[in-house]
Parts: sequence; structure tokens; C-alpha cells
Amino acid sequence: MNQPVRRLAAALFLAFAVLILDVTYLQVVAGPRYRDDARNPRVIASRTGKERGLILSADEQILAQSVADPDDPQRFNRVYPEGELYAHLIGFSSLNFGDDGLELAYADELRSKRDLTVSDLLSALLGGDLRPKSLQLTINHGLQQVAYSALGNQRGSVVAIRPDTGEVLAMVSKPSFDPNLFLGADAIATRELLLADPSEPLANRSTNRTYPPGSTFKVIVTAAAIESGVAGPDTLLPDPVELELPGTSEVIRNYDRQTCGDGTQVTLQTAFRRSCNTVFAELGLLLGAEALTMEAETFGFNQDTPFELPVLNSFFPQPAEFSNDLPALAQSAIGQRDVRATPLEMALVAAAIANDGIIMEPSLVSHIFDAEGGAISENEPALLQRAVSPSSADIISDLMERVVASGTGTRATVPNVRVAGKTGTAETGVGPPHVWFIGFAPVEQPTIALAVLIESGGEAGENATGGSVAAPIAQEILAYWVRTNG
Amino acid sequence: MTRNAEAALLVGAASVAAFGVALVNLARGDGLDAQVALTFVVMIASFGGLHLAIRQWSPEASTYLLPLAAILTAIGFVEVYRLDRGLASLQRWWLLIATALAVSLLLAMRRTGLAPLRRYRYVFLLSGLLLLLLPLLPTDWSFPLRGFEQNGSRLWIRFQAGPLRLQFQPGEIAKLVLAAFLASYLSERQAVLGVQTRPLGRYRLPELRQLAPLVIAWAASFVVLIYQRDLGASLLLFALFIAMLYAATGRGIYLTTGGLLFGAGGVAAWLSFPHVQRRVSAWLDPFGDYADTGYQIAQSLFAFGSGSLSGSGLGLGAPDRIPNAATDFIFAAVGEELGLAGSVAVIATFALLVAVGFGISLRSRDTFRKLLAGGLAFVLGLQTFLIIAGVMRLLPLTGITLPFMSYGGSSLVANFLLLALLARISHEERA
Repeated sequence: MNQPVRRLAAALFLAFAVLILDVTYLQVVAGPRYRDDARNPRVIASRTGKERGLILSADEQILAQSVADPDDPQRFNRVYPEGELYAHLIGFSSLNFGDDGLELAYADELRSKRDLTVSDLLSALLGGDLRPKSLQLTINHGLQQVAYSALGNQRGSVVAIRPDTGEVLAMVSKPSFDPNLFLGADAIATRELLLADPSEPLANRSTNRTYPPGSTFKVIVTAAAIESGVAGPDTLLPDPVELELPGTSEVIRNYDRQTCGDGTQVTLQTAFRRSCNTVFAELGLLLGAEALTMEAETFGFNQDTPFELPVLNSFFPQPAEFSNDLPALAQSAIGQRDVRATPLEMALVAAAIANDGIIMEPSLVSHIFDAEGGAISENEPALLQRAVSPSSADIISDLMERVVASGTGTRATVPNVRVAGKTGTAETGVGPPHVWFIGFAPVEQPTIALAVLIESGGEAGENATGGSVAAPIAQEILAYWVRTNG
Repeated sequence: MTRNAEAALLVGAASVAAFGVALVNLARGDGLDAQVALTFVVMIASFGGLHLAIRQWSPEASTYLLPLAAILTAIGFVEVYRLDRGLASLQRWWLLIATALAVSLLLAMRRTGLAPLRRYRYVFLLSGLLLLLLPLLPTDWSFPLRGFEQNGSRLWIRFQAGPLRLQFQPGEIAKLVLAAFLASYLSERQAVLGVQTRPLGRYRLPELRQLAPLVIAWAASFVVLIYQRDLGASLLLFALFIAMLYAATGRGIYLTTGGLLFGAGGVAAWLSFPHVQRRVSAWLDPFGDYADTGYQIAQSLFAFGSGSLSGSGLGLGAPDRIPNAATDFIFAAVGEELGLAGSVAVIATFALLVAVGFGISLRSRDTFRKLLAGGLAFVLGLQTFLIIAGVMRLLPLTGITLPFMSYGGSSLVANFLLLALLARISHEERA
């Protein structure tokens, strides 16, 4: 009778072996699929309901915090008290769409580690702190507000940087959105609406959109001329009314269809001050593709920019692309054609001139604090690269100061403050131009460098210029900064 | 293995439970509290009491049974505690009651041994059938003992007297009682059942008269199936009958016929009961109707997947997201919080326990003891397999408990009584 009992036992052991195989398959092979399934409440719980760290501005304004749910003190709701003002910087930590912005970049620091993973537990056993950490930003809340309201209802961006440290003082992109809506019950519908909005409120124009820099690019052309010794501020350059582009019927004209100076020749200084396209286009041809591309790259074009948020690379074509296309080279020298830059990049260009030719690595986060409020790490200013020599920077700074004193940028003038700048009015081919102002102040010891961009002329439309639309916005921002931090 | 080694292992199991409770407390952010000590004391009292009873009244019993059951009980208790502290404190009472009843059983058998089981078999048959039918008592009569329905199955009775309310699944005990009856009946008729045949074409069938127990078994299971609408309990009962019949006779015809009969019953159940259809469709495609029928099994799969190799750690997972996690789905909670390491360990421990049971059966020289031990080991193993396969979606889910681990008084009582029976059988064989 033992035979059938043995068979029954064997059948059961076979069944147990199948169980072990199946549980191995379930937990190891198919496991990750189930673990990461969006419907898995653990995935959802890891994003929501947990306490996350504070995010503060440099002047300790609360920008993001976790507030205990009144119905369930174990759960926390993420709140962004400043809403639209910081939407593109801080992003959101959303149940439906995951994390974005600094909430994503610092997800590991901001989240509570009283969580699921073995490594978290190990670190706790080794004395690690499981509580969420807090961030303090380099952003000055007052300046951010001024920049935000100065843009008004126009689409555009402001990036303000402290030139000697790279700290971002303000970074605004408009139109914006309220990140709190991404956390609420209508999150999905809200996102659909925002995605369908042709004004692209979700885009961070400061870092993730590139625009033709127009005449602001002349800062870089001038740097190339001075560094190579081809021209100095007082060098006389040809000054035609219009420049016929070699091999084409296209011409480059100055903004007012006049000559730049009074005669057939004009100094570089005057051409820069009045932003003469004909002069700079010719200067570009004179310098050659090699020199322009190299100079653009030393200012950060075609380079990855180390930053807490993703940054789209600014673009200047390689020399080979100009070999059979001199018109393109001439147009690129005035920041048109295929040249593209983010507002952040152009702010770094201004900051380089302000900081004796050195570009500091831009940064948004100054300190990380533990739950007790003790600083765990502090952002040390880091050199990104040298763009121009200190003496070239000095010369260009002087040229830029003249732009604001008596050139295209007079509307950026702040009483009793030496302001340097450069305007830009970039033709887009379709619709009104994108207008720019880049600059810094005070010239003798700069504490702020900025770039202002208004898309498609803003409210001024076809008539917009960098000097008439972007410079006044820069003026408001610089005036506020110098008044409160001067 | 000596009795002292067994005692040491029992202390180990109690420590596992206490240590697990402490970990859960720490993981949940609560300090260490009286629960840790209370758990240790209750485990020591339960296992220790049973251990002493075995030393006293069945000294030759296998030393492997109790430690294996104890470690399973300990792990299960920690997960129950982690899921629901209210249930855990009830579970501690049930553990004390279950082991006390097992001690009483050993005490009752100290002189007579298993003989009364054998002798009064029809009393056991009757009481078994009665137990099976108890849940059909009216829900709303004045008598304090009432049947009631839960999750579409009518498997429960409830005793209500004033504030005191006890719930019990009599079917769990019925399994043991009917196993005893079958072992007794079959050991006597074994020779007859196995030999006499009637030809039918090429096949040789047993005499119709000899098929009677099979028919009774099928009918009893079918009653459970029809009136109580529970596929799992019915399958267990039926498989127990078939397996014991096969063990007694060695005739494969019982297995095939039984399989066909159960298949027919299963199809009939699927056709007639909506809750069986729901379980089958949830099994075939849990994510097809995620929000409704598939929800529970999908939560179980999420738990296993999230557990991965090493698990989230006790108290750090989210097995509370699975409906009925503490009862039917306790194994998914183990899979999540203890990972593959834990789930394989639990399956292996069950396999060992079942192996010990079959070992007792194989070593028995007496037919009754052999059949009883084999039947008990088989039903323990099959129940374990069915519920684990169910929560892993290897088979459709059947609402049965995981022995020793699930929350539930009836299940604990039944399984510790089963353990006491196996202990007594192994003692008698060696004594």
C-alpha cells in the first residue's frame, strides 16, 4: 500500500516544485513589471502622501512645502504657495505625472526615505537620516516677483545671474501655470488643457527653448575681433548702407536703412553702440567661420551647460557648413540664420563680460539642509570656462556701457548706476521679431547679469525692438536689484 | 532529533515571532511595546504546552512536526500582526485555544490511542456530515447558533450570546473527522475494494456496491458545492476522499473517475454560480476588469512583484492594499515583505511538513494509521498548494486558508488537531 501513498506524495512535491518555480518567476522575472505598474498602489504611494522637504528662496520665502492632511495626519499634501511664479523651476511632484523640475532633480534628497528600499534601510542602520531634506535656492524672491511682473502678459523669459558666483537670482518663463493644479483632482484635465494651449505654458523658455539671439550675438563677434586682434574699439570698419551678400541677391541692411556712422567708415565702438548689421556682417566675413564658431563655443554655444534643470544646447553652426555659404556666415554674425540661444545662455554671455571674461557654472540650489536645519552641503561657486581675457572683457564692458548710455539700450538706464547692455531684435521670418536685452550692473563691480527675451515682439508686435521692449524690463529688474542689494 | 532539540527549535520559533513583531513596530514608527513580550509568552505557552503534552502522552512521536508548524505559525502571526493588530490579538487567543485543544486530544488519546477513531467510525461519519451542514442553519432564527454567508460562500456558523460572538468554519473540522472515518472504513474494506472487479469491455470496474463510498464522497462534496457554493472547500473534501481511496486500493481508476467527476462539478459550478465565474475570469485576465473582479488578484501580483528577491522588510511593504490579506492572501504579504527568500522558505517548510506527514504514513505498519496519516498529510499539502497557487494566479482563487499562517480560528484549531493526530500516529507506530 506504500506505492500509492508514495505517488500521492510525489504528486504533491511536484506541485510544490511548481509553486517554487512560479513564485520565482512572479517575483524575479515578471516582478519588475508588476512592481512598476502605474496601478500598483506602492508606485502611487511612493509619490504621494509622503512628506517631502521644504524648498526655500535665498531670502527664505517658502516655495514648496508638505502640509499634513487635515483628515489623515499621516499623509502630506504638497503645496506650492507661490504657484505660477516658480512653476518651471520647482516643477511639481504629482501623483499622475511623476516629478518635474527641481522636484525631480532633487527627488532623492526631497523624499522621505521611510520607504521601501533595502539600501534606505541599510543607510538607516548605519546612522543615516531617513527624513526628507530641504533645499534653499539661490533665487531672490523679491527679484523673481519683479521679473515676473515686469514681463507682464508677454511671452518670454528673464534669467538673472550673479556673475562672480553663477548663482541664478531670478528665472522666469511666461506664460506659466499653477503647479498646485497638477496635484488636485482635476490634474489630468488640467494637463490636457495646458498641453493644448498654443502659448505653451508648460515650456520653460529660460532653458528649454532657443531663439535667434539677433544683435546680442554681436558681443561674441566683438570678442572674436578683439581677441584675434582683427579690430579694436577704435578700428575703422567699412560702413555701407546695405551689404550685398556674396553670390545672392539678398542684402543686409541696418535697422533704419541708413548708414551706421556719418561716412563710409565707422569705428567698431559706434557700430556696436548703434548695433549696425552691415558692419558686423562684414566683420563676420572678415573674421571667418573658424574664428566665429570657436568664439561662440568658448561662450558656451554647442556645449552642455551643467545645471540643476535640463538645458537645451545653444547652437552655432560648424565652420564647414559655411564653406560654400558666405551669406549664411554674414547672417550668423548678426545672430540670425541658424544661430539659436537659450535665455540662460545669453545671460551667461553677459555674466562672462561682467566677470572679467570668466563664466561661472550656473546654479539654482545654494544649500541642502537636513531635517534639523543643519546645512549638509553648500554649493561652492565653480568655474565653467574662460570666455575672453580680462582685458577683452574690460573693452567689451565699456562698449556695452555706451549702448545703455547713448546707444540702442538707453531705456535700460538706471539713475546713478552704471549699466552695461546689448539689445537684440531677431527677425523670425514669420511674424514679429523676438527681442532681447542682455546686460549687467553696476559696471564697476557687477552683482547682476541678465538676459530678457520677449517672444514675437510682445505687445508691441511688429514695431518691437530690443531697445523699446526688452530694455525697459531689464531696467526695472536692475533698478530693483541695485536698490535692494546695492 | 531529540526532544530537547525540538524544544530549542520551538523557542527559536517563538523568538522569530517576537523579533518579527518588534521589527514591525519599529518599521511603523512605534516603539517596542508589550506586544513583543506578549507574543513571545503566548508562543512559548502554546508550543511549550503542546511540546510537554507530546513528551508526556506521545513520547515516541516525531520531533519534526511541531517545530515546522511552529515556525509557519510564527511567520504567519507576524504578518497578521503587521496587517491588523486587532486580528493579531484574536489570533493569539485562537493559538492558545487551538494548542489547548490539541493538548486535550493528546490527553484523551493517552490510553486508548487512536482506537476510538477506528471503532466509532459511523459516529464520525455522521458528525462530519453534520458539521458540513451546520452553516445551512438559518441566519435569522432565535437560536444563538446561526449560519451565515461571507464572500458568496456559506461556510460559517456564528455563536452569539449577548456580547460574546464567535465565528467558526465547521468544515475545517469536518475534514479531519471524515478523514478518520475514511481511514477506518477503507482499512477494513481495503482488500475487498481493491480486488473484486466487474468487467466492462476492456476495463475492469469495481463492484457497484464497492463504489458506494466514492459516491457518498462525491455527494457530500456536492452538497458543500451546491448549498455552500464554495469550490475550494468542496475540492479539498472530494480530493481527500479520492486520495484516500486511491491510497487504500492503489487503483488509478478512482483517480481518473474522481478527476472527471470533479471536472464535471467544476464546470457545473462555473455555469451556475456568478461568484465562481468572477473568480475564473479574474484568473484568466485580472487586468481586464482591474477595478472590479481582477482587483484582488492584481493587488496580490503587485505585492509579489514589489517584494522581489529580498522583500520590502517587515512592516515596510503595503500588503494591506490586498483585500483579505490576513486570511486568504497571507502568502502574498509574505512574498512582498520577505521577498522571494521568504516565500520560497515558506513553501519549502510546508513541503517538509507534508513530507514528515507522508513519512509517518509510509513507516506505519498498520493500515488504518497509514491511511489516516497519508490522508491528513495529503489534505494539508493540497490545501497549501491550492491557496498559494490561487494567490499567485497559477490556479483560480479558492477561498481557503493557508494552514497555520492565515488568520482564522477554525483553521488554526483544525490544523493543530491535525498535527496532534499525526503526532499520535507516529508515537503509536514506534511505541
